[in-house]
Amino acid sequence: MGKIFDVEFMIEIIPDILRGIPYTLTLAVVSFIIGLFIGLIGALIKIYRVPVLRFFTGLYVSFFRGTPLIVQILLFYYGVPILLRIVNQKFGTSFDVSRVPAMVFMLVAFSVSAGAYLTESIRAAIISVDKGQLESAYSVGMNTTQAMVRIVLPQAVKVALPVFANFFIGLLKDTSLAFAASVTEIMGQAKIEAGRASRFFEAYIDAALIYWAICIIFEFLVAKLEKNVRRNERGIAK
Amino acid sequence: MIDIRGVQKSFKNTVVLKGVNLTVEEGETVALIGSSGSGKSTLLRCINLLEIPDQGSIAIGDYKFKAHDISRHTKKEVRKRTSMVFQSFGLFENKTALENVTEALIVVQKKKKNEAIEIGRFYLDKVGMLNRADYYPTALSGGQKQRVAIARALALNPQIILFDEPTSALDPELVQEVLQVIKQASDERMTMLIVTHEMDFAREVSDKVAFMDDGIVLEVAPPEKLFFHPEHERTKQFIDRYMQRFSYTI
Repeated sequence: MGKIFDVEFMIEIIPDILRGIPYTLTLAVVSFIIGLFIGLIGALIKIYRVPVLRFFTGLYVSFFRGTPLIVQILLFYYGVPILLRIVNQKFGTSFDVSRVPAMVFMLVAFSVSAGAYLTESIRAAIISVDKGQLESAYSVGMNTTQAMVRIVLPQAVKVALPVFANFFIGLLKDTSLAFAASVTEIMGQAKIEAGRASRFFEAYIDAALIYWAICIIFEFLVAKLEKNVRRNERGIAK
Repeated sequence: MIDIRGVQKSFKNTVVLKGVNLTVEEGETVALIGSSGSGKSTLLRCINLLEIPDQGSIAIGDYKFKAHDISRHTKKEVRKRTSMVFQSFGLFENKTALENVTEALIVVQKKKKNEAIEIGRFYLDKVGMLNRADYYPTALSGGQKQRVAIARALALNPQIILFDEPTSALDPELVQEVLQVIKQASDERMTMLIVTHEMDFAREVSDKVAFMDDGIVLEVAPPEKLFFHPEHERTKQFIDRYMQRFSYTI
């Protein structure tokens, strides 16, 4: 009868599980980038103490850091259709939720969640840059945008890079939660294959190894990037 | 060149400037002395609007502004006409020595990159730092950093350079190289206002010395007069205390 551990099956289904990679990477990379934008805006609102917006930013960060990601995913998954129905009823429109792919919901959910965490990371990185840098940028005639973009943010990135890398690895693995919203990323594919043959352990081992491999490649890339960003610490250009 | 009239500034409940009047003529070097907390640095920072004065008016060349009428445009105009050398150098840590000098030439003054580099190299050479053009600030000594900062201030071709205790953060043996560069700029008739605790340097380099006390400029005079025949008792006390500091015996 059946084997206790089916190595052949484990190898056989790898290509099928790999088909989840584009979803996993898209989710992680796109929501990280959107999260960076949200985080930068949130951080600047907090640093410059923009009235009113500052209050809402605080609320946003507090909620999305204070609730589990899986709960947020399910809230988006079930909440957005309800919201659309209300909109349809109120304004006589006819948006059809079923035509919006689950992936879009998840991109929104992950971006919003990432934005909340990154708001705090970016804020901390920006205020870690010596205030004198901003003042001397002003003193040579730069405006706030020029000073931020050319002087302060490049230095903040150096501080934030390890934090970003850490966060991205976490995010990459958290995308596995998107299977709860029926997105066929790595974990979703693994689940499908596992269910087909009732070989769960084999499929999940594959999934684990694939996640691990992606993270190793990513860590290698970050190490290179970090070296590049820290070039000014070597002291001499070229 | 620079005309400061009735400038006042408070932080929360502390009144730091109580109505400062001071004039710096074109090509003149004015040393601003006084004890800590007398408002020297705050005055300097009010001139280029790193601090916004509460009262008074300031004229820099042809550009005049009043304290209660300061906009983004005012700051832009003021900073076009001034540059500053900070106590803690304020070099951009993510830029090389040369980039520190050229950055504002390219970004603010919209000069072509080649032209900016040419100007940058010229001024680095002037302060004896051309051989360190590609060094990042982390690889430079305090004195070298300050010389680059002075090159940056000169390259902007401002109407006045403001020095905020340029040698106070330096090791004693590095002070001289920085003072030399400042003296050279003074000899070339750059208009400068220098907050300093280096009394010998103030005597040697300045056309006028302004003594600040308790939020006002109490006395302005040529160095020989201010150091040896001050009019005010308070000035005399300050000078005496300084001279004593350097005359103790072991």
